[in-house]
Amino acid sequence: MMHTVEQPYISIQNIGKWYPYKNAGRIQLFGAKSHVKAVDNVSLTINRGEILGVIGESGCGKSTLGRLLTRLEDPTFGDVFIGGVSTTAMVKKDNLAFRREVQIVFQNPFDTFTPRDIIQQILLRPLENHRIGSSTAERLEICRKALNSYGLRPVDDILARYPHELSGGQLQRISILRAMLLNPSFIIADEPVSMLDMSVRADIVNMLVDLARVHHAAVVFISHDIALTRYISDNVAVMYLGRIVERGKAEDVLQNPLHPYTQALLSNCTSIDPDANNEIIPIAGEPPTPIDPGPGCYFAPRCIHACDACFREYPSTVEKENGHTAACRLLY
Amino acid sequence: MSVFLAKARHGIASALKDTQLRIGVIAILVLILVMIFRPVLMTVDPYYYGPDILAAPGENGHILGTNKLGQDIYSMLIEGIMVSLQVAVISAMISGILGVLIGGISGYFGGKVDTVVSEIINIFMMLPTFFLILLIIALFGNSILNVMVVIGLTTWPSNAKLMRAQALSLRERTFVKSAIAMGETKIQILLKYIIPNGIFPVVANTTMGMAWAILTEASLSFLGLGDPNVISWGQMIYDGKAYLTSAWWISTFAGLAIVLTVIIFYFLGDGLNHVLNPKYVAGRNK
Amino acid sequence: MDHVLELKNLNVTYINKERKVMAVRSASLTIDKGDALGLVGESGSGKTTLAMAVLRLLSQAEVTGEAIFRGNNLLTMNNEQLNQIRWTGIAVVFQKAMNSLSAVHRIRTQIEDIYRVHYPKATAEEIAERMKALLRLVNMPERVYGLYPHEMSGGMLQRIAIAIALLHNPQLLIFDEATTALDVVTQGQILHEMVELEKTMDMTRIMITHDMSVVAASCNRVAVMYAGELVEIGPVREVIRTPLHPYTKGLMDAYPSLTGKITALKSIPGSLPDLSKPIIGCPFAARCARKIDKCYTEKPPMVAYDNGRQAACWLAGGNA
Repeated sequence: MMHTVEQPYISIQNIGKWYPYKNAGRIQLFGAKSHVKAVDNVSLTINRGEILGVIGESGCGKSTLGRLLTRLEDPTFGDVFIGGVSTTAMVKKDNLAFRREVQIVFQNPFDTFTPRDIIQQILLRPLENHRIGSSTAERLEICRKALNSYGLRPVDDILARYPHELSGGQLQRISILRAMLLNPSFIIADEPVSMLDMSVRADIVNMLVDLARVHHAAVVFISHDIALTRYISDNVAVMYLGRIVERGKAEDVLQNPLHPYTQALLSNCTSIDPDANNEIIPIAGEPPTPIDPGPGCYFAPRCIHACDACFREYPSTVEKENGHTAACRLLY
Repeated sequence: MSVFLAKARHGIASALKDTQLRIGVIAILVLILVMIFRPVLMTVDPYYYGPDILAAPGENGHILGTNKLGQDIYSMLIEGIMVSLQVAVISAMISGILGVLIGGISGYFGGKVDTVVSEIINIFMMLPTFFLILLIIALFGNSILNVMVVIGLTTWPSNAKLMRAQALSLRERTFVKSAIAMGETKIQILLKYIIPNGIFPVVANTTMGMAWAILTEASLSFLGLGDPNVISWGQMIYDGKAYLTSAWWISTFAGLAIVLTVIIFYFLGDGLNHVLNPKYVAGRNK
Repeated sequence: MDHVLELKNLNVTYINKERKVMAVRSASLTIDKGDALGLVGESGSGKTTLAMAVLRLLSQAEVTGEAIFRGNNLLTMNNEQLNQIRWTGIAVVFQKAMNSLSAVHRIRTQIEDIYRVHYPKATAEEIAERMKALLRLVNMPERVYGLYPHEMSGGMLQRIAIAIALLHNPQLLIFDEATTALDVVTQGQILHEMVELEKTMDMTRIMITHDMSVVAASCNRVAVMYAGELVEIGPVREVIRTPLHPYTKGLMDAYPSLTGKITALKSIPGSLPDLSKPIIGCPFAARCARKIDKCYTEKPPMVAYDNGRQAACWLAGGNA
């Protein structure tokens, strides 16, 4: 691997997103407001060229994290540093520059583009806004090359089409290509293939990985499909109720999970291998909403190993070998 | 430019498959053609006070008769198309542009702007529009320009409401978030994404509004508050009021012309409603 | 042996004024007592259409062929006979229970209504007894009987939907993407619970899904559909490990493994054929990696092999 590791390229520092929760019918003591803590104190580092998978069930905050990283929402606290530069400052100073650095691929390819424009307009617009290329002809050539390089042919036919005339796979490829036109160094992929048929997913995923390597970009791959995350990621972070409960190399986290939640999550997933669908670790109850969780470990109410101490204090993060960390008292 | 033409051709071709829209469009085109070729189609100068007073239809070459000033009714009807179409189009444009911009900004930007604008819209909706128009005409004079502007300025709230509702829901769509992520400014997003995608119900509403504008102008004229210097169908009805039993043709044909035109605009509006329904738009080529 | 359900040459064509879409073509399938059959396919495969056609739930479609249940052809029954079979003979669990239940009535009220369709004289106590027993079977607390649907999570509602489906001990249970809208963990739990349940109850079930891992976790047989046709049928383990049909193989290559070796993921190139036109030859030929000339001109018939396996492919015979 080529990169030197003095400072990780992307440094997410104690980022959080709290939404005030108005609970009608409950008298609220002054100052003691309720919050939905969608993302709560998340810190992560990602290097250029690294693909970080983020997994967790619904309500864990992974999609909110994706929105925070792309500044579709502003964090309540914390910041993200790219190459040592604060993104909060970057957005204030030069929003367009930030948008060139950080790009996102959305879950729903059918809604990613405005139904009123043809693909040519859709692709030319960001190039014009960011002043890439010096003439319409040059920009058109850039678009043509991009489409052609990933099998979207005949190119001129596709450029003249409306989004509703194309398939999900084609649309998602165009979405990825459009993001890459700006040459970002940080890409967030929010469930990029979950709405597509199985037989077209591989191409999209492989294309994303390929482009990320070519641009030497850092990728955050958000997904509920653990097997796919395993396939694509270098490292994996597991989220539960807004916090990272485990992080490490993909093989470490997914084959030797340390945190009880990860263990339970993995055992409950259905697998394509009929023999693997056997030992289920029970998780009691339903995934809760992150309204004022705590004070102890957030997973304690559903954990089969929970003890009294688990409910009193949030466990600190323990590091095992190889950068494999988990926040669980059992590892002390 | 070529993109625009290609899209226009694409849109028009599929739109014209709807029967109501086809009828409405053809009828409007006919009206416009009649208006353009009115010197040719008229038999006499409508402003000419001829010698035949209160002639019955068919008498002396007057196809539809004459009024008490000797003006030929048929020629007056044709001249009147201009006023009706002008009132319809100009008031609709004022109402439409104001409604779309105000509703769009209110819905998309949200916050205090939205609160204030919503209250203004509510106030307008509480006022009886017609009486407001009467009041303004009474205060500021009854030129046809006043009439058009006043109708436009009092009917924008219904368009604004529609546009605002669209903007509120469009705000959450993935392609809007995508545009933000691409670095587009709020104004760009409003003009390129919110308005083009949300304007459908406004277009249909505006077309119905055109019909309402024609009727309002006619009503104002009928009440004697119209512009007496231009020939409009409403004025003709007003003129013929006193002669309803003796010279019925003065009011009646003008009334029929209004009915017919309003029906045409309804066909147009209804047809547009079908065709511009986003579900229809999305599924068009599947 | 009598089959629970036997489909013979089922064809379903959607008709609207512009075009006809042949969504299911010549489907023939048998389901025996105790089977848990996974009906797998991607978009356009026709799997949901097949089930809905059998249940006569499609209003704008032309259905030909036979669907024999308890000796009678479901497709030619009159409404009276059909209503007798619905829910007592065959029951369905749909994708989102939230959409199958009325939002303004408590669960109790809705179930009393459903129960009384077939047993108009049943008392509220009888129904409650029955329902509470079923709720215990699906691991739901009894108190949900008195709740409104919006007071419960998706997973809970889906379990209630399963309990409702079991109300009259139907011979055949059809799950139409019943766990697709749920969380990974909830889905895993429900599938596991169902498999456990079947150890104590006699159940014959069809799982319609696009997700082969759901089939792997909960079924003993699988039928794969492509472009409206059944292309491969067989025991789950064998079809997954050694697929006979190139489409099945392509599909398996597209699934990443959770615990096994990480191999390259591959997509299947190309796209579905146009279902509004007749398909000559094998529907998968244009996208197949192993096609021969014959594949384009003659449609391969479904051929039976050992072990209850079937495949519709000219090359399946010697080259599994």
